[in-house]
Amino acid sequence: MRAKNLLILFAALFVIAGAVLATGARAEGEVPAPPAIGATIDDFSLPDVDNKDRSLKSLAGKNGTVLLFIAVQCPVSNAYNERMAKLAEDYKAKGIAVIGINSNVAEDAAAVKAHAAEHKLSFPILKDPGNKIADRLGASVTPEAYFLDANNKLLYHGRIDNSRNAAQVESNDLRNALDSALSGKGIEKTEAKAFGCSIKRG
Amino acid sequence: MRFTKVVIPVALCILLLGFAAPAQRKGRYTKPQTTLPVVSPIDTDALKGLITQQRERPLLVNFWATFCDPCRDEFPDLVKIDKEYRPQSLDFVTVSLDDIDQLKTDVPKFLSSMKATMPAYLLNVTDPEPAINFIDRRWQGDLPATYLYNEKGEVVYKHIGRVNAAELREAIEKVVKKGDGQ
Repeated sequence: MRAKNLLILFAALFVIAGAVLATGARAEGEVPAPPAIGATIDDFSLPDVDNKDRSLKSLAGKNGTVLLFIAVQCPVSNAYNERMAKLAEDYKAKGIAVIGINSNVAEDAAAVKAHAAEHKLSFPILKDPGNKIADRLGASVTPEAYFLDANNKLLYHGRIDNSRNAAQVESNDLRNALDSALSGKGIEKTEAKAFGCSIKRG
Repeated sequence: MRFTKVVIPVALCILLLGFAAPAQRKGRYTKPQTTLPVVSPIDTDALKGLITQQRERPLLVNFWATFCDPCRDEFPDLVKIDKEYRPQSLDFVTVSLDDIDQLKTDVPKFLSSMKATMPAYLLNVTDPEPAINFIDRRWQGDLPATYLYNEKGEVVYKHIGRVNAAELREAIEKVVKKGDGQ
C-alpha cells in the first residue's frame, strides 16, 4: 500500500514537472517570433499609467497606429524621447496614433508616468504586465516600432531610424513607412532591425 | 641599571622604527595603475574581416554594451573563461555596441573594473543593421549576444541573452585543440 502511494506521488511529481517544463520559463534571450508583415494584430487591452484599461481599438488612429515599445531606464530608448514625442505630434494631425508600451518588469506604472511627464511624451503609454503583448508581437528591445494600418494589419516592424544619435540619422525608416502608407504608396522597407536594450521580461 | 641598559635602548629602537616605517612606506609607494584598457573602434567591414580571417584557433565573440544589465552581469564569467582558455587555445574578443562617445570613457572603465584583458572593440557605425545581419540574420541586435566560431569560421555555438558559463565552457571544450593546455 505504501509502495503504491509512493508510486502515485512520483507519478504526480513527474506530471507536474513535465507541465512546468512545457509551459514554464522560456530560456533567457528567447523571444517569440514576430508576426509576419501583412498579419493582422488582434485587438488587446492593457492598463495605462493610471491603471485604466485601454484597448488598441479605442486608441487607434483613423489612418493607422504606431506601437512603440519603450523604456524608462534604457539609454537607447531615452535617446529617442524627443524623436518619439515629435513623431506622435507630427502624425497625430495625419490620423496616425502613437501608443507607447512598456513591458519591462522592473519599471512600474508610476515610474513610467513620471518619465513620460519629464520627457514630455504626450502619447498614451500602456504597461504590459507579464509582457503578454511583447510576446505576442515578438518585441525584443526598446525602442522597437510596429506600424499597423487602419485595419490593424502590420505594415512595418523595426527601428525608428538608423542611429541613437539624432545627428547621425540617415535613414528615417519608420517615418518613411508612415509617409508611404499615407500617400498610398507601397512601403519600400517593411522591416529594419531595431537596436536597443533588451526588454526585461518577467 | 638593567632598566637603562635593556629597556631604554629597546624603547628607542621601537620609537625610531615607528618614525622610519611610514617614511619607508611613503618612499616605496607607487601610484596605482590608472591606464585604462584600449578599446578600438571597428566598422562593419573590419568586423567582417575579424570574423572571417583565416585562423588557427576558435574565436569567441561577445557583443555587449555598458547599458545592458545582463551584459554586465555575465562579464565576470567571460573574464574567467578568457583567462582560462585564451592563453593556450582560444581567441576571444569583445565588441561593444555603446555609443562612440564612450570609446575612451565608460567602456574601458567597465573593462578595467572587470580586469578584462581580451581585445576590445566598439562598433563604430551610424547604422548597426548591416553588422547585425552579417553576424546573424536571425539576431535582432538584442544584447548580450555570444558567438563561438570554429577554426573554419563556422558558428558552433551562439547565445542571445546572459550566457550560461557551464554551457559555454562545454562548447569551447568541443572545439579547442586537445593538448592545448586545457
